[in-house]
Amino acid sequence: MADDIRALSDVLARDPASLVYADLAEALRRRGDLDQALGVAVRGLARHPDHADGLDCAGRIHADRGDLAQARDAWGRALAVAPAHLGALKGMAFALFRAGDPRGAEALLERALAAEPGDEGARRALETVRRAGAAAPSPAEPVPAPAPAPELPPAVPAAALPGAPPADSASERPAVFRGMEGATADILLFDDRGLVVAGGLAGPQGKDVSELAAAALAGVSGEAARTAQYLSLGPWGTIVAEAERANLVLAPVGAGALLLVRRDRSVPVGLTVRVAERAQGAARAWLERQGA
Amino acid sequence: MSEILDRALDRISRVRGVRGSMVVAADDGIAVAQLLMEGVNGKAVAALAGSLARKMGGAAAATGAGRVRFLQMDAAEGTLLVAMATRDLLVVALADPTVNVGLCRIEMMRAAEAAPR
Repeated sequence: MADDIRALSDVLARDPASLVYADLAEALRRRGDLDQALGVAVRGLARHPDHADGLDCAGRIHADRGDLAQARDAWGRALAVAPAHLGALKGMAFALFRAGDPRGAEALLERALAAEPGDEGARRALETVRRAGAAAPSPAEPVPAPAPAPELPPAVPAAALPGAPPADSASERPAVFRGMEGATADILLFDDRGLVVAGGLAGPQGKDVSELAAAALAGVSGEAARTAQYLSLGPWGTIVAEAERANLVLAPVGAGALLLVRRDRSVPVGLTVRVAERAQGAARAWLERQGA
Repeated sequence: MSEILDRALDRISRVRGVRGSMVVAADDGIAVAQLLMEGVNGKAVAALAGSLARKMGGAAAATGAGRVRFLQMDAAEGTLLVAMATRDLLVVALADPTVNVGLCRIEMMRAAEAAPR
């Protein structure tokens, strides 16, 4: 985690206008450095006041600090910019529920599930608020103290949600890519909610950054699929990112699972894509064996 | 500024198979300049390009890969290409799946370098 924060801080130091501030603030929040996280988020939002991801992150930081009024304000601004923003919808639902408004929370979670039908966290939260809503009094009756909060964000990284698999190190995960170069340091299988499934990614200092990468890419598959459909591009196959020090290839593996392969910049992009295709085959076969 | 961008987009759009090219604000996915074939939804292209750049940029930073310079999303019926220009601008092209990506990439990187800083 410290390495991730250092890496993100370096990126932000080199490019103060980078949107990576939201990732840095989120990493700090997850580490529990709430004041520092808030400072990063506030500075980032000063440059990008309509950045929905940044506003959503600010909402989570405020919520962690116990300031639900500020959290609601941040999530409200995020939803004004991006009405279908999953994190902000879940966050605002959390805030409403905590304020004793399960029906308001329910409406927002329904919107969240309409935007991301496969989001397990939103589905579980919706079940919780519906149970609470069924037991809620009519508006004419006195409003009791807020019910215990459902299993909702603010902890947005899916791996941190209750019921999610524990954050294992790469060596403890299933050996899906055994025999392939970088099987546990450069190839990651995760799901569209940001949960790590197999493989692993090592950071610059060798520390496992799988969860951070998976969380950063949560939702990208659904977004790519929807827009590709909207633009009549058909199903998407791969997304290749050429970065300063490495090339990344992202590819879907069946419904809801994604593969990320990283190779040094010296490896031609075409070869990295071939490696990804091989890893995709291995992942698909393994998932089928699991009955997934 | 507009003339430089228009010329750059014109060169990209001359690559065979390119359906349109745009310069997009990185932070909000709003088009700054565009040259699109009829029927191409510029707003959707710009929004997807901006979102992909943000998410892949976050993943690249998280894994120590550094700043993303070029993105390519391949789909069955088309290809989306994104070059990072300045810290605030993206050069975007939507093309047929058979487009010469190498050639298009050269023109896009040239446009990225020509974009105002």
